[in-house]
Amino acid sequence: MILITNTLIDGLKERIANAVSTNQSTGIIIPSNNYSDLICSLFEYMDTKPDAIWVYLTITKPFESLFDDYSNLINNQNIIFIDCISHAAGISKEKSNCIYIESPSQLESILLEIMNSYKNTDDKKNKYLIIDSLSSLVIYNDAPLVTEFFTHLINRTRLSDITTISLTIEEELNDNIRKILYLKSDKIIKLKESFI
Amino acid sequence: MEEDGALIINEKSNYKKMEGDSMKENGKCKTGIDELDRKLDGGIPKGNAVLMVGSSGSGKTTLCMQYLINGAEMGERGVFFTITEPLFKLTKNIENFGFYKKKYVEDGLVNIIDLRIISERLGLNSEKYNVEDASALLEVLKDIADELEVKRLVIDSITALCYRLQSDEMIRDFIFKLGSSLAGMGCTTILTSEIPPTKPGELKYSKYGIEEFIADGIIFLGDVNRRGDIIRTLQIIKMRGTSHSRTKSAMNISSKNGIELTPLLKSGE
Ligand SMILES: Nc1ncnc2c1ncn2[C@@H]1O[C@H](COP(=O)(O)OP(=O)(O)O)[C@@H](O)[C@H]1O
Ligand SMILES: [Mg+2]
Repeated sequence: MILITNTLIDGLKERIANAVSTNQSTGIIIPSNNYSDLICSLFEYMDTKPDAIWVYLTITKPFESLFDDYSNLINNQNIIFIDCISHAAGISKEKSNCIYIESPSQLESILLEIMNSYKNTDDKKNKYLIIDSLSSLVIYNDAPLVTEFFTHLINRTRLSDITTISLTIEEELNDNIRKILYLKSDKIIKLKESFI
Repeated sequence: MEEDGALIINEKSNYKKMEGDSMKENGKCKTGIDELDRKLDGGIPKGNAVLMVGSSGSGKTTLCMQYLINGAEMGERGVFFTITEPLFKLTKNIENFGFYKKKYVEDGLVNIIDLRIISERLGLNSEKYNVEDASALLEVLKDIADELEVKRLVIDSITALCYRLQSDEMIRDFIFKLGSSLAGMGCTTILTSEIPPTKPGELKYSKYGIEEFIADGIIFLGDVNRRGDIIRTLQIIKMRGTSHSRTKSAMNISSKNGIELTPLLKSGE
């Protein structure tokens, strides 16, 4: 059982590594059942590049619970977390390397904080952004707004040479978001449940 | 003869003012808030008096403070006349922001002056001014600005000042006198104007309806409602002496960076 899980996570990690190495904007579509496997493999992938500048945007889970088992990631000063849901959920514990956004509907603030995070960082280092997840934003915002947000975001990250990994949960996907994800990604990784 | 002398002094001080850091760029006074300066095609035209309009809590005081601190960073002296908030409260709030640098206040590059204390010293009734009181206060204001040779001046708020005047006529008179005083001082001024939360179709930029006539520019701090969440906005309504953007920007206030602007997503308006 453990062996199977490890193989799955390793496989995912490799697919992510391959996609990210040659594409500036990667979209991932994942069934909700496999969400935690994907997160595991993403974290492991992040751990292979501890010197890069990482920005991790979470709209799915509060920062605290998301990284519970990954203290090495939490303590890596090269990783900046942007948490959009702790405040709205009334969780008030604050960590220094995490930026808290009042609510996932403050899309402009999210854009601002993402781009601010890369300011004053070493220009020679590789820069990455993980959006976890694009489809969750639609729970809190109208789809056309999220589309516009994502368009601005990818335009800006491309200009600043930031590699993006945009997660979407299949069950949350609607036509608008699917379309913009395909439009703005250089590569789409699609996981089917049959993959397991 | 006396007038001649005054004129020369004035010219000299204007000449000096031209050398300030933010003036190098085609006569603009940089606010130091990047996106705002971009929207203003470089900054507020030097010597303009700008009305900063918004309801309570919209960020007027914070923005004005940031404008002065950023000015100090560029070597420009500024003065902040407060009448809405007592000095200690103002300082306490502003100390929470990353942009605040105590050094500039200590070095006299940013001067914060409580107008209520001034009027007390002048022996004025601090709640109600008559014509003479208002002129006396205006004189003192002007003297302070001249003596400190400030390039940036803030009055927070013009609404609270007018509130202490007893008739519409006095308010009108005061506003126009203030306007011509400011024009003579050559510094770039922000006057804050506090308005009640606006109802659609009923937008006013000032409580008394005349403050905007002496203003060379109007900047409006408002908000848009997005599914019950409030997004702060900033819009330049007018600005003499420069081309400028008229689109609404989203405005963020954070302890770390103070006020920051970013384009407002249009589907959300
Ligand atoms: N340290 C801070 N960090 C983030 N936001 C703040 C901070 N201090 C104040 N604010 C926000 O700024 C608002 C007040 O802005 P202020 O400049 O005093 O408004 P105004 O002068 O228009 O009444 C507050 O309502 C609050 O939402
Ligand atoms: Mg105020």
